[in-house]
Amino acid sequence: MKPAPRGTTGAAPFTRLLEMLRPDLLRFACWLARDRSVAEDVVQETLIRAWKSREELKDPAAARPWLFTIARREHARLYERKRLPTVDVDSVEALGDPALASEGDAALHDLRGAIMQLPDEYREPLVMQVLGGFSTAEIAGELGLTQAAVLTRLFRARNRLRTIYGLEPAEDVE
Amino acid sequence: MSTPDCRHARLHIGAAPHELPAEVTSHLAGCAECRRFHDETVSLDARLRSALEVPLSRFRQPPPRTRRFALAASVVLALLVAGGAWLLNPRPALAGDVASHVIHEAGSWDKQQVLSGADIDAVLHQAGVKYDSSMPVIYAMACPFRGRQVPHLVVQTAEGPMTVMLLMHEKIAARSEFSEHGFRGVLLPAGDGAVAVLSRGAAPSESLQREIVAGIN
Repeated sequence: MKPAPRGTTGAAPFTRLLEMLRPDLLRFACWLARDRSVAEDVVQETLIRAWKSREELKDPAAARPWLFTIARREHARLYERKRLPTVDVDSVEALGDPALASEGDAALHDLRGAIMQLPDEYREPLVMQVLGGFSTAEIAGELGLTQAAVLTRLFRARNRLRTIYGLEPAEDVE
Repeated sequence: MSTPDCRHARLHIGAAPHELPAEVTSHLAGCAECRRFHDETVSLDARLRSALEVPLSRFRQPPPRTRRFALAASVVLALLVAGGAWLLNPRPALAGDVASHVIHEAGSWDKQQVLSGADIDAVLHQAGVKYDSSMPVIYAMACPFRGRQVPHLVVQTAEGPMTVMLLMHEKIAARSEFSEHGFRGVLLPAGDGAVAVLSRGAAPSESLQREIVAGIN
């Protein structure tokens, strides 16, 4: 195998890259896991895995989606391995989004709460798309779905959020 | 929604408003209703992005005990892996082990909140170490390291944040500077053991090193 350029995988630049992207990675994991302590575990595992696989990263510009992909897989693996309890939507509603602290902008807080309450199958592709910058084709590939299924999930995710934003929900799609 | 074209367009707009296929873009030019739906969705998306880019401080911190346990689980796994390698290989240099450990807790550098004396004491007590820090401590964890629990601290100093690992079970003959995995640091004899001080920038000054060692009882 041809070695990667030193500028990409040298220990010092790679460490700086991980440090720079860690806040984004933690935010992404928080939205996936809906639990900060689980998210921190996911990020830690992700960083370890990324460090071991750093030779695979040929282009530093691709580091963000590369790390997000590892984090998403680590998150899925963590649930498979530990059989963590899923977050019950009713309890999230009843407790007023316990994972999120409130703030001055009530509308934005409500929107965050509504995103938190989306079912995993809608929230995950939405977070991957809006926060991670993944295309629908990339999401389909990553989640093992058809692109049509991803479009439907993303449509339904946004449709649920339209009412929080003060818009009429659109007619559902088949 | 009036036509199959509108239904097709709205599926794409609602799913990926910034990734529209050509036929949907063409449809928008001639359909005012779908254009309005598109404008609404783009506006929603901007708000959605703001919502998702929530400052990390808005995600509630887990209780310290839970968090410590969560971190410990990962560290134990790493230790098991490292332990297997240790049985087969010569004992690696202490500086390299310290730097490797710090890499795997990269988040320790991001902390902003100064920890209370009680939080720090709990970590020190767990590791059976005494240390009076004259500098604010923003991270404290009792970490498994070479088969022992050692306090891993990050202190705010005039030279920036510094990782301080109190290695009371590691004996070293003399002070030695090192540069490992992008960190600059120094190993110092302290009491019956050693202390490692690491920075992501310049190596800690000698006066800072003296100040840190002076805190170890």
